[in-house]
Amino acid sequence: MSYVYTVARLRGMENHILDSAFFTRLMDSASIDDALKMLGETSYSQYLNQDSNFDKAIDSEMLATFHELAQFVPDQELLTLFRIPYDFHNVKVLLKGLFKVRAGDLNGRRYDLLSKLASIDTNELTEAVETEEYGFLPYGLTDVIPQCVALWDQTKNAQAVELLLDHQMFKAMLALAEKLNVALVTKWVKLKIDAENLKAAIRLARLKYDSNHALPFFHEGGFLRPDDFAKLMNEPQETWSRILSHTDISKVLNALTEQQDLKVAFSDVSAAIDRYLLEVLESAKYSIEDPANVLLYILAKEAEARNVRVSLVCVSSGLDREFARRAVIA
Amino acid sequence: MEYLGLSLALFGAALAAALSGIGSAIGIGVAGGSAAGVMTEDPNKFGSCLILQALPGTQGIYGLLIAFFVLNKLGLLGGAGAVALNWNQGLQIFAACLPIALVGWYSAIWQGRTSAASIQMISKKPEAMGKAIILPAMVETYAVLALLTSILMLMGIQVG
Repeated sequence: MSYVYTVARLRGMENHILDSAFFTRLMDSASIDDALKMLGETSYSQYLNQDSNFDKAIDSEMLATFHELAQFVPDQELLTLFRIPYDFHNVKVLLKGLFKVRAGDLNGRRYDLLSKLASIDTNELTEAVETEEYGFLPYGLTDVIPQCVALWDQTKNAQAVELLLDHQMFKAMLALAEKLNVALVTKWVKLKIDAENLKAAIRLARLKYDSNHALPFFHEGGFLRPDDFAKLMNEPQETWSRILSHTDISKVLNALTEQQDLKVAFSDVSAAIDRYLLEVLESAKYSIEDPANVLLYILAKEAEARNVRVSLVCVSSGLDREFARRAVIA
Repeated sequence: MEYLGLSLALFGAALAAALSGIGSAIGIGVAGGSAAGVMTEDPNKFGSCLILQALPGTQGIYGLLIAFFVLNKLGLLGGAGAVALNWNQGLQIFAACLPIALVGWYSAIWQGRTSAASIQMISKKPEAMGKAIILPAMVETYAVLALLTSILMLMGIQVG
């Protein structure tokens, strides 16, 4: 299957992606029943009928999208790139369960939190973690899971274990992108690492971390080094945009200079980062066969799923709709 | 050396038909891939896609036209037998075939790519069909110019 076919088919599929006008109407729904009724007229309807839990319905729609794409995308690695985070999420869930059981909580395992969107079958992964047979696991999990177990045994520090897994996740994503040898895809992964580091920097600034303590939280592999982000910890947030002005990502930091409230600023910066990661890939739109179009479509679909989730949570729990509107990606 | 002129002229005719035909096949293939992708999601776009897919096919026809023109000039059509041709005349006919052979080959591929992009465009904006046709048709201009050049050159060559 050629990318000319793939990209043309994606163009057709893009017509079914829900737009911002739909989300505005969805968020203005009087009740969750009205919102679900509105969603029932979209591609999510088949999963809403199967499952009253809208979270699972959203995941089912994403899984169906991955399965559909797998039928005609020439490089399956492009899809794997998006499924790796779910694999690492599942590893975290399984390890947390394992640690709780070891600590005496026999009900600590939470298999219900495992994501179906992962590329490794959840049953196989569960069996591998339970039996400590990691040999067949991809993405460096063979080595990193025993390291996590050893780290937990020594420190009982769950955050350190999560960090170790996150470092490995980005390493695996970058290795996969470089194997694909598509410049725009590699650039996107590197920027995603930078974006993740930037989000971590804002969170750590809220917690008043200094550069030494913050350094281990930043991932390698982006265009900026972990050191560059750690140095931001010693500076006021409103100057970050100026400090990073030589980088492409500085433009998303405008919210920091405008917003004094870091909680609100984090939400604005997160939305700006998501928009920026979409914009980076948009040059692929003008090509009839750029593989990065696959990423662009999945990102748009992920943004749609996220927007559906935000809108439904907002309606069901009566949250501030203005805050939700800001979190929704246009 | 007796048949060198005839051989050169026939080689030119073969190139005109073959290269522009290859270009058209590639161009139609590229546009067809795009059309198949769009029609998988919306089969109702078959009519629009077919028109855009067919556009790169014209270069193959132009190449065939020039090949017929050459064969006719050489007396190979109609059974009257080939005219006598020296190597200089053969080389002139060969040169006259080159514009459509080369431009036809290359323009058909690029027209196919433009058609593929136009097909993707009508997938999102069906109302822009007119504009979608004009864009690949612009590439056609140069194939037509090459065809005219080849015809004018062939008409100016005296044989027999």
